[in-house]
Amino acid sequence: MGIEKMELVTLVGKMDELDRCLAKCCESGCFHIEPAFSSVGTANGLTMLNEKNGYTAQLKEFERLAAELGIELKETDHSDYAPHSPEEFALRAKHIGESFEEISRRKKDAQQKISEMNGAITQITHLKGMNSDFREIFSCKYVASRIGRLPTDNLEKLDYYDENFFFIPFETQDLFCWGMYFCPAEEKAIIDDLFRSMYFERITLPNFVEGDSDEAVRKLTQSISEQQAIVDSCQKELDTISGQAREEILKAYSKLVYLHGIFELHKKVGFLSGKFYIKGFVPKRDKQRFSDLMKDFDSLAVTFMPPDTDANCTPPTILKNSIFTRPFRMLVEMYGLPNYGGFNPTAFVAVTYSILFGIMFGDLGQGFLVVLLGFIVGKKINRDAGGIMIRCGLASMIFGTLYGSVFGFEDLLDPMYEQLGISFLPLKAFHETGFILLTAVGIGIALIAFSMLINIYVGFKEKDYEKAIFGCNGIAGLIFYGSVVTGLVATIMFDVKIMSAPFVICLIVIPLLCIFCRVPFSLAVKYKKFRLSADEEEKVTIGGFIVENFFEMFEFMLSYISNTMSFLRVGGFVLSHAGMMLVVMTLMDMVSSTAQPFVLVIGNAFVMAMEGMIVAIQIIRLEFYEIFSRFSESDGVPFEPVTVSFSAQAE
Amino acid sequence: MLDGLASNATVAKIRALHGKMLKKENYREMLTRRSVPEIAEYLAATPRYKQALKDIDPMTVHRGFIEELLEKDNFDTYIRLCQFQQLYKVPFFDFLIEKAEINCILMLINSINTGVDRSYLNDLPGYVIKHTKLDLLELSSAGDFTQLMKLLRGTRYHKPLVRVPLSEDGKVDYTDCEVRLRTQYYVNLLQEAKDSFADSQLEEVTRMVKADIRFKNLINAYRMKAFYGFSAEQIKKHQLKIASTGRKLDEYYNLETPEQMLEWLSRHEMQSEITDGAQIELKMQRDRFKKLEHSIYRSFSAPVVLYAFTELCSFETSNITHIIEGIRYGVDPSYIENNILIC
Repeated sequence: MGIEKMELVTLVGKMDELDRCLAKCCESGCFHIEPAFSSVGTANGLTMLNEKNGYTAQLKEFERLAAELGIELKETDHSDYAPHSPEEFALRAKHIGESFEEISRRKKDAQQKISEMNGAITQITHLKGMNSDFREIFSCKYVASRIGRLPTDNLEKLDYYDENFFFIPFETQDLFCWGMYFCPAEEKAIIDDLFRSMYFERITLPNFVEGDSDEAVRKLTQSISEQQAIVDSCQKELDTISGQAREEILKAYSKLVYLHGIFELHKKVGFLSGKFYIKGFVPKRDKQRFSDLMKDFDSLAVTFMPPDTDANCTPPTILKNSIFTRPFRMLVEMYGLPNYGGFNPTAFVAVTYSILFGIMFGDLGQGFLVVLLGFIVGKKINRDAGGIMIRCGLASMIFGTLYGSVFGFEDLLDPMYEQLGISFLPLKAFHETGFILLTAVGIGIALIAFSMLINIYVGFKEKDYEKAIFGCNGIAGLIFYGSVVTGLVATIMFDVKIMSAPFVICLIVIPLLCIFCRVPFSLAVKYKKFRLSADEEEKVTIGGFIVENFFEMFEFMLSYISNTMSFLRVGGFVLSHAGMMLVVMTLMDMVSSTAQPFVLVIGNAFVMAMEGMIVAIQIIRLEFYEIFSRFSESDGVPFEPVTVSFSAQAE
Repeated sequence: MLDGLASNATVAKIRALHGKMLKKENYREMLTRRSVPEIAEYLAATPRYKQALKDIDPMTVHRGFIEELLEKDNFDTYIRLCQFQQLYKVPFFDFLIEKAEINCILMLINSINTGVDRSYLNDLPGYVIKHTKLDLLELSSAGDFTQLMKLLRGTRYHKPLVRVPLSEDGKVDYTDCEVRLRTQYYVNLLQEAKDSFADSQLEEVTRMVKADIRFKNLINAYRMKAFYGFSAEQIKKHQLKIASTGRKLDEYYNLETPEQMLEWLSRHEMQSEITDGAQIELKMQRDRFKKLEHSIYRSFSAPVVLYAFTELCSFETSNITHIIEGIRYGVDPSYIENNILIC
């Protein structure tokens, strides 16, 4: 349960095999690609293949074709689809496009006419009450007239024009003002131009519109029906074409997505003297399989190297977890992956999270329901979330048994313990308040100390002496924290006076001094040289050093206290859970016997939903702030095997 | 002085509005459309522009009107945000109105210079008229620059323009007017910020406005060098001269070739090396776009967040305009996609 070992791989081959090689890398499912060269200089001939992806335009074209034909794009097997180059795809797209271009145009024309006529009807509706024959108005010899709508914002401007026209508004709405303008016939070109510049939308009444408004509306409605019939017939033809072209479009699109994705990977490929260079990481356990896959190539040279060979590449992290701990990787990833050489905390999280949940949400019956719910969530929604629920539910059942609590019935298991002769169980929350709170703090102290041990281990592994020895979470911090806790517990709880002068000086003051001077001490150990700052160029004065470290020490002290006290919430939630169930039981006693089962079910459901959620969140908080912050660097790079995803392209 | 926390509700409201702005997927959707009506129909269906475009008929609407409606929507949103917590009482928050006034004055100067009658009135955005202190409609009566100056007397725009030399044919140097007006605009804006905000809020606002000025100067200087071959002196003459925005910029203006400027920009302003002159503006705009988005989520200061939001809205409108233009002229959608600000 550590971190998966990696191998750095370089692939060098002839350019004509590049796409096939990248396809194999995708197929392997275990190749994490890195840019081939970290710094590219043209002088030594190294270049990155940063060419324009020729498939992008075709991808868009097929997206458009699918949209016009109403085809929903989905991944389809394209192994038997022949076109390969962008030009071949362009030809196919042109061919498909031509088959319905004319129909599509007819449909759009008809739709536009409908739209115009609908506009005309609306306009005529606004002109209702005019009771004049339209033909008479439009047949004026010396006066030109236009009907339409003008953006209301532009109405004010009309008064400032010197031109010879007048505008009659009929109806003013939010955005437009419907109306009509009149001007001398010989000036109509200028006036039309003027109104067009103000986005006047002219409604052209068809020639057949005559008579008053009622008659005009009737004729327009009839004409709209005719145009609608054209739209419907075009749509039918388009549906037929869509049925015929559907398979080809889906295959072409899927293949394009694949080829486009492969081409995009060129950006990470290097080029030198007619050869391509690909670099990346492969998990050590997949080394042989990957190597076998690459045997098909004539010219390809595959070289495996230790992961730290190239200083410009950071090896990615894969967490190795057992079946029990695997679902909890979700929480670790949420906080941030550890780096390649770091510590995998998933097992630690799995154990502590389950135990803390069990303690805070201990109920045999409710725990059982959480397990059942976990199975459903795992199957239907999210496997990891379901897994976490199952494990937490089991822990809840175990602690519920210790508390003797089943769906809030606190006395149900008493006879069992009496029969077994265990006198100290079940543990009654309200009778053992002090014990529960002290135990919670005790658990907190143990977890914090364990986190410090992990930090010391990681620090030594990374040869970071500040972290491992002198830091607030290193050996000095652990000695200080352990001594203070031991001293306080012995003095207050057991009345043992161990806080003698040598104890305080050796185990409290000296570790504190080490933490205070952690930077110069660690530099002295590492470089055998005294310096106040890790950065050689930074000038730090003694005064500045003391002030800075004084405040940092103050913060460390506060964090020791607040982090320890933070675990009081564990005990608090034990009491809160028992308290809430007590309320449910009291409510149940207050209602009639028929209503009691409903109160019990609803009460349990409410407590489970609300408290379960709060407890889960509170433990995440404890894990992240009180535990992880002591050792986790979370600067790891996730392992992302190179692949071509259909969904990503199609979105 | 405006208390920083007093306008938290406005900040929250802006963040909610920012969440509605068009995303990468929306732009990609738009790029699959083949005509302006299709784009108009798509935009009218988005939550972002549903209200603004509710009355249009996608089949008949003019593309210029769509753009004007989008700009109007941005402007109305800004006005609503200023009214929400009565921010308009603080002079700084007039920044967009003043910008619109300057644009209108410049439009009129251009119209006077070119002698095109009516073009000012035609192009005057109607939605601005009722919000400005300046009577923009009355300005249309100015037939020449002298008349314009008479109409502007008593306004804050008179002082920067009064010293602009008038040529024999009655024309004025448009660029000179623009530089003077915009310089005055930023000077006033920074002064108003100083008068209205305290300490950290003032610092944040000042930093944001100065970053805007620096961005404009950098881009304009590159354009002047690359496209017009201007000398260092000519470039300096056309820059917005605001105190402490041009640190190290003299060195940039003095560079001899556009390539050297690109190298300088790569080294000092961008995180990556840029060798393609055609891409520099876009990359810098993308960089600025990211910083503005960052400001919206990082800052708790209403002036900073509102300023950043209006800039982002203007970037969004510019993206849509690019797409509409590209589609109208049958440009390859992938080319358009590469040339719009998607971050």
